[in-house]
Amino acid sequence: MNQKGYLLKRILQMIFSYLIILTLLFFLFRIALPDPTAALVVEGLSEEERQLVQARFGLDQPLWRQYITYLVNFFQGELGISFHYRGPVFPILVDRLYNTLALMIPAIIVSYVIGPLLGVLLSWKRGSSTEFTGIVSGLIMRSAPLFWTGMIFVMIFGIWLGIFPTSGMRTMPYEAAHFFDKIFTLDFLWHLILPMLTVAIYYLGLPMLIMRNTMLEVMGEDFIELCRAKGLSERKIMYHHVARNALLPVVTQAAVTVGLAVGGQVVVEVVFSWPGLGREIVQAVQTSDFPLAQGAFMMMSGVVLVMNFAADMIYSYLDPRVGQGGGK
Amino acid sequence: MENQREKENGSFKSRIAYLKPYIASLLEPAKIIWQDPLGRAGSIIFLVICFIALFAPWLATHNPNEMNQRIEGSVISFNEDKEWKDYEIIGDDPINDMSSDENTVVAVTEENQVIIAQDDRWEEEEIDPEIELLAVTIFDDQIIAAGRSGQIAIRDNDSWEYETIPTEVDINALASSQDNSEVLAVGDEGSVFLYSDADWEELESEENQDLNAVDFSPAGDAIIVGNQGTIMHYEAKEITDPEYEAFGEETFRDLYDVDYSLAEKAFAVGERGTIMGFSGEAWYSTSGDTSRELRGVTVLAENNALAAGYHGVIQHFDGEEWYSLDRITTRGYRGIDFFENQGFVYGVDPYINELAPPSTEHFFGTNHLGRDIWSQVVYGSRTALLVGILAALMVNGIGFTVGLVSGYYGGKVDNLLMRIVDIMYGMPLEPFAIVLVLIFGPSLWIIILAIGLLTWRTNARVIRSQVLSLAKRPFVKAARVAGASNLRIMLVHISPNVLPLAFLQLAVAMGYAITAEATLSFLGLGPPRVYSWGTILHAARLSGAWRVAWWWVIPPGIFISATVVSVFLISRSVEVMTNPRLRGGNDSAPEPEESEDVLPHGQ
Repeated sequence: MNQKGYLLKRILQMIFSYLIILTLLFFLFRIALPDPTAALVVEGLSEEERQLVQARFGLDQPLWRQYITYLVNFFQGELGISFHYRGPVFPILVDRLYNTLALMIPAIIVSYVIGPLLGVLLSWKRGSSTEFTGIVSGLIMRSAPLFWTGMIFVMIFGIWLGIFPTSGMRTMPYEAAHFFDKIFTLDFLWHLILPMLTVAIYYLGLPMLIMRNTMLEVMGEDFIELCRAKGLSERKIMYHHVARNALLPVVTQAAVTVGLAVGGQVVVEVVFSWPGLGREIVQAVQTSDFPLAQGAFMMMSGVVLVMNFAADMIYSYLDPRVGQGGGK
Repeated sequence: MENQREKENGSFKSRIAYLKPYIASLLEPAKIIWQDPLGRAGSIIFLVICFIALFAPWLATHNPNEMNQRIEGSVISFNEDKEWKDYEIIGDDPINDMSSDENTVVAVTEENQVIIAQDDRWEEEEIDPEIELLAVTIFDDQIIAAGRSGQIAIRDNDSWEYETIPTEVDINALASSQDNSEVLAVGDEGSVFLYSDADWEELESEENQDLNAVDFSPAGDAIIVGNQGTIMHYEAKEITDPEYEAFGEETFRDLYDVDYSLAEKAFAVGERGTIMGFSGEAWYSTSGDTSRELRGVTVLAENNALAAGYHGVIQHFDGEEWYSLDRITTRGYRGIDFFENQGFVYGVDPYINELAPPSTEHFFGTNHLGRDIWSQVVYGSRTALLVGILAALMVNGIGFTVGLVSGYYGGKVDNLLMRIVDIMYGMPLEPFAIVLVLIFGPSLWIIILAIGLLTWRTNARVIRSQVLSLAKRPFVKAARVAGASNLRIMLVHISPNVLPLAFLQLAVAMGYAITAEATLSFLGLGPPRVYSWGTILHAARLSGAWRVAWWWVIPPGIFISATVVSVFLISRSVEVMTNPRLRGGNDSAPEPEESEDVLPHGQ
């Protein structure tokens, strides 16, 4: 199968997966909340009003019709009305998604720049105590739960030393005409440092260990022997030949990590009161805001799927053998 | 018959024989883990955590739900300029009464302790036989202490002597007249005793309320106060209350203390912030800005008085009105005492030992409700391991089966199963669990289910790739040619070879499940009333006290990290075994027989 065919196949697979997830979500929420208006009745909705609302939202129609409407609405970007914000879910979530990306992308860049470099160092110092400490600290960084390191950071740098702000993206009140206006400020950077470090440290261990492992593997390959025979310097071999070839799984992992970070790292946002997607979904659960929780989940899983797809594409681009095999 | 049994036995034995490779392939990693120093460290940490979880009820020093109290006897001293010194613990039990003159300061507790200040040190004495002491007064160079069941002892020349007075009621207060000629003792059921010329005599009071306090004026008359607004006047060995009769109408509240140290002027305090003033002719009711119980009042000088009570309330009178001073503590004071230039606020009622830093009593301190954090952490290890093991087994069960079937059959089956895996990869774990909790409500099972239903995806992929390569091996082909069924090949020939890898995955899944459980509990999605390391941190965050109470935050996190690190170390030893190229110089894991490239995906 050629590259194009593989790409097309993967896109179709991705869309199919997403449809299944959307379907699952629809039925899950239907089980949970057979009558969404019930949540509104508590706030003093009369029976007639309730029926009106039901009719307006199409809740009086059969389930399959509702399901079709749900899918059509979804593809039109209508994810429902938030109970809590009393406004459409989609714009709220897009705003939160940007906020999340503003935190996660710098963090992942930091960890995926420093991590592989450390990994090279570890494989170079193979067998030394540096390697030993490196591996153990890498494992520890991956083991310490994010929310806990976040809390410790807040305690040390925010409270005791008082250097960094401990919550939010900007000092309140602030005015920002649009998103970039909001983040291209020193104040934002100031708020970014602690949560970013928390995430970066957590993600640092994985690329470091992957890099070390693949470096060691590549070093055993024949062409490295050849380089040595050619009399290339050890430094040149390391950075030019070994590291370049070993980067492949790291790059792939980086793409997967972006997906997981956007979709999965709820706790950091909660600890640092970062107004991102993750905090939104937790708040949605606390306020029983079903449409918001559903929309947030849709958005997260969408990002994860796209990033997994991107990872596959990068992988097949960097390692052309993959595409021919017809997927991993 | 015999024959058949032998046959059965034989077939049973041959069936057992199938288990051999399974056992061997499980023992093999165990051996390797133990030979690797990091793996050994990991297993030791893990075994310690298991030990803690197993013996939690014995290791926990407290009931994790108990709001631990502190009982102590303490004073806060002050001078006439109201300069307050630090809170000072001087005894093991709350101080019920204090008395002082120019040479001596004495305090008593219900556990028969008399604490006397000497040269800036507090010395403890006991009375034999024991008295539950409620009151004390200094009378000339004697100390008189009284307590429950009408017991009174007098200290004269360093030795205590019992006094017998004709009563069984509790003596609540003692006071000696300012010229040291007589002592009044008041107690329950309106009893009043007079001590003069080394003799006790009961006075007729015509009152049956419990009396709580008594104080002499410079002129030698005294005021006695008690429950339900009782105020009585003592003068010249007689209790009179003619012109004071009206006080009963002023208040029906219990009065706990009275100060009459200035002539023609007195204050009495009582429950719900009651303050009564005496102008020399009549009583009037006044009040400060508190509604908490006031247990003691003392006059420092003209137009300068203090009252102390529950929840650390100290009220000050500046000649016109009573108002609160800034709280030094929030503990319940039992009284206040002042003589010339030094005074004490004393007590204190047993209080919730909240946010106490680590000590020998509470290894990890206490939280905002006075609960012991060490005990919570110990019980939390049970939750972590329970969820970790169950979820990891579930993950491995599903992942192993899917990987085995998918890798062995290949083709359409493989395609279908791998598409399901793709879908699973599209759902982030935490949000998935959050949505499940929103729908089904918080419980441990939902957390296990969320982890189990979702994270088998990695295992399935890893196992599948291993099975794919095994299925092409000659021994599998040989088995097929020999007529073995698919099931038999999968279970007997392939599975044992995948087990070390599955074991590795089990460890990884467990570490992942423990983190996931902690994370979800931290978000407040764990079941209430079940202690887990995550819920402890959730409570810390919710209370807001975590910003200062480091002892509340650090231990659970260390336990989570240690447990997860230990399983990672264990899994790493196995990983090194399956891929010898990863070995650094410090790894002494033995060379495996055959190497397979099976680096698991990072989660």
